[in-house]
Amino acid sequence: MQVGIGTENDLLLKQKKKNLKRKRIDTWLLLLPTLAIFIFFFLLPLFFLFITSFKTFDPSSGIGNEWTLQNYIKFMSDPFYLGVVWRTVKIALITTLITIFISYPVAFQISKSRGRARNYFTLLVLSPLLISMVIRCYGWVILLSNNGVVNNTLLSLGWIDEPLTLLYTELSVVIGMVHVLFPYMVLSIMGSLEKIDPSVIRASQNLGASSFRTFFSIMLPLTLPGVFAGSVMVFSLSVSSFVTPAILGGPQVKVMSYLTYEQVAVMLNWPYGGAIGFLLILIASITIIAYSKILARSEKGVAIQ
Amino acid sequence: MKKKLPKLLFNSVCLLVYTFLLAPIVVVLLSSLTTTEYIVFPPKGLTLRWYTELVDHPEFMQSFTLSILVAFGTAFIATAIGTLASLAVVRREFRGKTAIVQLVGSPLLIPSVVFGVALLQFYSWIGLAASPLALVLGHIILTVPFVMRLVVASLVGFDRSIEQAAMNLGAGSWKVFFQITLPIIKSGVIAGAIFAFITSFDDLTVALFIVSTDVVTLPVRIYTYMQYQYDPIITSVSSIMILFTVALMLVIERVLGVGKVFSSKN
Repeated sequence: MQVGIGTENDLLLKQKKKNLKRKRIDTWLLLLPTLAIFIFFFLLPLFFLFITSFKTFDPSSGIGNEWTLQNYIKFMSDPFYLGVVWRTVKIALITTLITIFISYPVAFQISKSRGRARNYFTLLVLSPLLISMVIRCYGWVILLSNNGVVNNTLLSLGWIDEPLTLLYTELSVVIGMVHVLFPYMVLSIMGSLEKIDPSVIRASQNLGASSFRTFFSIMLPLTLPGVFAGSVMVFSLSVSSFVTPAILGGPQVKVMSYLTYEQVAVMLNWPYGGAIGFLLILIASITIIAYSKILARSEKGVAIQ
Repeated sequence: MKKKLPKLLFNSVCLLVYTFLLAPIVVVLLSSLTTTEYIVFPPKGLTLRWYTELVDHPEFMQSFTLSILVAFGTAFIATAIGTLASLAVVRREFRGKTAIVQLVGSPLLIPSVVFGVALLQFYSWIGLAASPLALVLGHIILTVPFVMRLVVASLVGFDRSIEQAAMNLGAGSWKVFFQITLPIIKSGVIAGAIFAFITSFDDLTVALFIVSTDVVTLPVRIYTYMQYQYDPIITSVSSIMILFTVALMLVIERVLGVGKVFSSKN
């Protein structure tokens, strides 16, 4: 009798162990396809490019045999290249600020509307995301070119005497970026607007606060985490974006991503292009880390209030 | 009265923003109808000439087919492997989980232009020429993060007792997956596949490095064409692309009703 139970327990234990082992193999089988593709077609290529960025330039093959830090030193000591860094960051900052200001009212409006209207507004805001970025930027080319819609309107109104140069300027790049990145900010702000407990708003109104007061001392502080999170996203996407500055800025408004492309595709200077690329990654990651630190702090602040 | 003015101001600001959002798209659509040899807005006269002239530009049609093929391949593979990986990440405990989650999420942080350069260098070293496969592999990297985010979200509040019940009733693990698990996480998986399709169909940056003279995706074709020419052909191609996207969304909405997924996700 005793023996019988013992073997039964043993059997169960063995079965469990077997199951556990099988489960472990299962886990890695589930992960295998994704991991394999990521290691071979993501990590390895980036690793090789990183190595390339420490090589010398060879006019015939692109990549020389010597090791060097010159690519990084050249970039960081040349005022022209530092100017490109500054322009990249400046455009991203301005884009982020404008996006915050125009997204807030829209997010506010959508979160207040209900039912079908809400679905339509949401779809309207998200629809640009579904349409090719190249085409959207191309639309801006038509709008902003010398004989484009904006200039023609201003001319016919008599506000200007000759067409303004709008296209291939920092302004046109900012306009395009705001248009492309706007939905991300709206979604992020909407997320935090929705988390606000309606009773807090009612309490504020019952205590006699005006709508302005309610907005500035209740709504705005409570949505700051959403604004911050959206800003990180917009800023980092804007720093690293290529399509918009390439179409609306071109060689006239060089940003870091365009410089990377130009060094590799036009100059065939792989090591230098690689070095610029990794500095771009560095700038994007630093801002993300800095922002998330601020974000963590601001969330604590809100909690204490 | 005092309350109406701010409201009016607020609504007009919103209206302005919506106009700003739609302006470039409307402009592209309408200027494709112009009778002039150059792009002008508002269009002069109405004609479908620039659509019929596409017959003389078979390269656009080729690129369109290639882009669709690549986008389908990407969506299919990225969704399949991303769903499997999401299952492991949500349901299993294993060593190095955080590292793997970070690795799979990192393409969102790496500028596509740098990834494109790296991939081009790698492809030329291993001797992989420009091909639909080369494009699909690159696009899988770009889209798996989205797929996993959406599928993980739909897996996290999943009531596993339903699966347990099916197993107790004698269903095998494959049967449980296809008849219980998959139908329940369907909306997340479909949303992931749509995101993957759109991202791949829209990609210019990575494709720009991989394409060759024979293998050119539509965004790259449009981009290179408009560097040299400024005629309304581009607007008609773009309009077809816009209408295609809109039609695709409508079909998806009708057949699957995932419009709900998009609007409730936020």
